Amino acid sequence: MADPLEAEIQQEIKKHKILIYGKGTKALPMCGFTRETMQFFDQYGYPYEVIDVLPNPAKREALTKMTNWPTLPKVFINGQFYGDTDILEPMEKKGELEPLLKETFKNS
Amino acid sequence: MITTDSLTDYVRKALPDAKVSVTDRTGTMDHFSIRVVSDLFKGKNLLDRHRLIYNALDEPMKDGRIHALEIKAETTDGG
Repeated sequence: MADPLEAEIQQEIKKHKILIYGKGTKALPMCGFTRETMQFFDQYGYPYEVIDVLPNPAKREALTKMTNWPTLPKVFINGQFYGDTDILEPMEKKGELEPLLKETFKNS
Repeated sequence: MITTDSLTDYVRKALPDAKVSVTDRTGTMDHFSIRVVSDLFKGKNLLDRHRLIYNALDEPMKDGRIHALEIKAETTDGG
């Protein structure tokens, strides 16, 4: 049986087309990078979810292991891991992000 | 707190040919932007390039000397 935390994460990244695991909530982001990532997606107008992992260190550790990525926030688009704005901004510059988001929200 | 030289040394342990430019974003020597140029990035996607740098800086990140890090990782031809 998969680790329950991992199963929970798998479920969340399937449920939310754009998902930001970060510090704090959508209403009250507790870290500059989490806020910056939200503002980044606000430019596009697609819906996104923020899940606060500060109160749940075990989940935060499971996420780090799953993604081999030590920092927060962690962004998932359409169930795929994309790091954070350090990855998304170069993708945007290369014109890779817009098509990905269009494809992700195509049939919703 | 960590010095620019020490940060550069850590990166160079993993990427010996790396040109590293470091910007202290807040003046507290623990919030950095770093730009790493190395041909060892060739053929690696962005996520793997950043993972290489995070692994090289694992120690100072774990012990808190580095609090926040923005990364740019390019090859010498800017790719």
